[in-house]
Amino acid sequence: MSQAPAGTPIPPCEVDFTQRTEYHEGLDAIRAAHRLLAEVRFTPGLPQRGYNDRTLYVNLGTLEVQERPVTRQMKDLFVGGRGFGLWQLWNAVTPATRWNDPENEIIISPGPVAGITQYPGSGKSLVVSLSPQTDIPIDSNVGGYFGPLLKFSGFDGLELQGKADQDVILFIDGQKGIIRLEAAPREPVDSHVLAEVLTRMYAEDAADRSNISVVSTGAAADHSLIGMLNFSWWDKRRGCIRLKQAGRGGIGTVFRDKRIRALVCRGPVIKADLNHAADFETLARTGIKLHREIRENDDSQCKMRRNGTAHIVEIMDAYDLLPTHNFQYGSHPDTHKIDSTVWQARCTQTTVDGCWYGCSMACAKGADGVVLRTGPYKGHMVTVDGPEYENAAGLGSNGGIFDPDWLLELNFYCDTYGICTITYGTLAAFTMECYQRGILNRERTGGLELTWGNAEADLEMMHQMARGEGFGLIAGQGVHKMKQIFAANGWGDPQLLQDIGMEIKGLEYSQYLSKESLAQQGGYALTNKGPQHDEAWLIFMDMVNKQLPTFEAKAEALYYFPLWRTWFGLMGFCKLPWNDVAPSNNASTAEPAKIPEHVENYLALFGATTGIPIDSPTMLIQSARVYNFQRIFNIRMGKGLRAHDLPPYRSVGPVTREEYESRAERYDRQMQEEIGVDPAGRTLDEKIALTREYRMARYGKLCDAVYQRRGWTPDGVPTLARLRELGLDALPEVVAIAQAHGG
Amino acid sequence: MRQLRIDLAKCEGGRNCEHECEEACATRVFKLGDRKSAALHIQAGAEGQDSAVLCDQCGDCVVVCPADALKRNKLGVVMIDKQLCVGCYMCIGFCEKGAFERNPGWLEPYKCTACGICVKACPHAALEIVDAPLPAPRII
Amino acid sequence: MIQVNGDPLAWTPDLTVRGVLKAKNYKFRMLVTSIDGVQVKPADYDTTPVPDGAVVQVIHLISGG
Repeated sequence: MSQAPAGTPIPPCEVDFTQRTEYHEGLDAIRAAHRLLAEVRFTPGLPQRGYNDRTLYVNLGTLEVQERPVTRQMKDLFVGGRGFGLWQLWNAVTPATRWNDPENEIIISPGPVAGITQYPGSGKSLVVSLSPQTDIPIDSNVGGYFGPLLKFSGFDGLELQGKADQDVILFIDGQKGIIRLEAAPREPVDSHVLAEVLTRMYAEDAADRSNISVVSTGAAADHSLIGMLNFSWWDKRRGCIRLKQAGRGGIGTVFRDKRIRALVCRGPVIKADLNHAADFETLARTGIKLHREIRENDDSQCKMRRNGTAHIVEIMDAYDLLPTHNFQYGSHPDTHKIDSTVWQARCTQTTVDGCWYGCSMACAKGADGVVLRTGPYKGHMVTVDGPEYENAAGLGSNGGIFDPDWLLELNFYCDTYGICTITYGTLAAFTMECYQRGILNRERTGGLELTWGNAEADLEMMHQMARGEGFGLIAGQGVHKMKQIFAANGWGDPQLLQDIGMEIKGLEYSQYLSKESLAQQGGYALTNKGPQHDEAWLIFMDMVNKQLPTFEAKAEALYYFPLWRTWFGLMGFCKLPWNDVAPSNNASTAEPAKIPEHVENYLALFGATTGIPIDSPTMLIQSARVYNFQRIFNIRMGKGLRAHDLPPYRSVGPVTREEYESRAERYDRQMQEEIGVDPAGRTLDEKIALTREYRMARYGKLCDAVYQRRGWTPDGVPTLARLRELGLDALPEVVAIAQAHGG
Repeated sequence: MRQLRIDLAKCEGGRNCEHECEEACATRVFKLGDRKSAALHIQAGAEGQDSAVLCDQCGDCVVVCPADALKRNKLGVVMIDKQLCVGCYMCIGFCEKGAFERNPGWLEPYKCTACGICVKACPHAALEIVDAPLPAPRII
Repeated sequence: MIQVNGDPLAWTPDLTVRGVLKAKNYKFRMLVTSIDGVQVKPADYDTTPVPDGAVVQVIHLISGG
């Protein structure tokens, strides 16, 4: 299939994107069943220079509703977004708190720049909680309208603590200044239905739907540890809700453990400068500059407006980096069946796909007119949000599934059932490899034939998870717990399970093959929350560009990029417009990989919104404070030391004979050139063992270099000197934890 | 659709007039003092390369607006609904003709609405309102 | 023989920058390419010859979602 170049007259539309199954018929009866539990009035407000200087606290058990101040110290040390979330969670829990204790919180924080409408990717929020999968803080970023609407109702964040004794909806009306907790016994459970019903229910008329955003999950979050949160917005042209996800870490499971059915925010009508920026003209000028840059360059660079993040499916395959069959291989002859040319034809090209106003990168593509083939919504016509790259790789190639229709259905059900596609993709791939190796069989899976490519069995496992029955209940525990369950049952060799189960700290890997990139092995294993790629994505810099030849160079990249990338989550920014488009002259700058003009844009946007000018060194310090605080928080909760940064061997090198043989030339050459051993005289098993020993030792050396560069001890503890440098010594408990662990 | 057109030969790049078109547009249509704030611009160029920036109602901005604030009226002219506009300026960024304007005091941008006031003001009859075919929306 | 990002690649007399990208299966489009330290613009990939013994750098500007 050929790709339509920009400016192509639109062919006659085959899919009417305004058509889908609708669910709001029973709305009145659902609303009539609500019972008011608590109602509190507040004075709506708008931020000044990006801050309202107050957050909202709601306790679902005691029905307490409080306004809490944003202090000077909070802004200085934590800035917003992830920083606020981590700080508030720190104060809410003790080292003994578990994810399902009432003290655990779910905190949603946008950030000072969130809600500006001029610059692409400025509507994001960070969601923070203690993760059911890792038992340490998870931070998950998400688009949609909830964060900005919350902010323009008057709050810099929302803290949810306690547990309700029945399913409740929290409604924040930022136009009328009313907060309501309502018992909601008859609400639909799954997000594509629930968000539509609630958007229509709480909007006062059709135009008001644009002012409503719903946070919700789905049936699978009640029966698994991998639940996520959907954040909605009203798609005017399609006439339906769309969803973005705070995916990683199981926050949706915490949400349902608290018996929250949904959060609904009704904000004011959005206008250009609700943040009351210090310097609006800079926002306008910088935004227009990026819109022009995207208009001129996107089509010859990443085609985000056409394909979303799925544009890299064929790229990863070409570079042998597309996770295939549970991260064993990097490419597959059938990848072309799920590459970006397929999605460009399948996803509607004739409408507006940003997940917040002003995003001209517009990567939230949707596939309209999809008729579902399985499950409780079989036969319904829906719009699928996606597929994003992670979905095409995780739900697709990693499980050996190369049928685009099945892929869309897997994507859809993950979203509506409220489970993370990245997590599900990796755990499903794990179950399939276990099945292929005889660790699982039909008896053990209750009849599910989890072979590579068997999308129907994969979907049935997901439906079981939603129904809370069968093998789906086991799979929904995640890879880490499945390893323990299988080993306890005597299924498979525990070492093999550990080697091929792609998780660290309890969180599954996201969809990039780090096996041949030492820098990315560190990028994944040394990430605070677990192996999510948002902190570091260095595969190309390392393996293809060969820009990181030494340990020091890798350590420098693993110092800078996690801090730069963390910064987006303090602000309310999406990372994608930073590097998925570049100015035409970027190649001639000193460090093109950093996209320096865009870095300057972001610093200018912060300064223009808050009135606080910052430069690159200051930006790094802002991030480093939150980053090191999170590391200390991990230690406080029991998983922040070197021993917890240990990756499964599948992410570092070839576990099995087939893996070694699939790249024998590369591995033999490494043995000759780097290990100094002639592969000729060795058996395959000897070569596998030698490679493993070498690579794990190399990983250890990388840790040494990275810890040192980050100002941490050899055990991975931030030193007192580093904490002092960052001003975190103002927090005595932080100092105490560092000292207790040799920091 | 209703569209403003210019005959650059008759216009002579504004060399032989007082840019009455820009003046009328800025002061009478948008109530702004400076003719530079008009929704059309005439530029004299070297060696007969005169140019004019004006909106030809192509509709690209309608396609990109996330607030659905840009729509064609009954005459086919693309109009901004200021109530719906969120001030994202994607219209400005995506307009290949540079036909959108911003006034630093206003949150919403503005553009030519083919009202015809400049046509009457032009001393060389270089401007006219025509009925042009409606172009198909583009994928951009 | 030429070098591409540190790895050897066979040289032929008609080798262009485009030919190098094809040989390496470098499908990604945001590239910064240089021959012996001198940048080559994407518009010139098809026509710029690569001399024998050249040190070619192809930096991919890709930093993941």
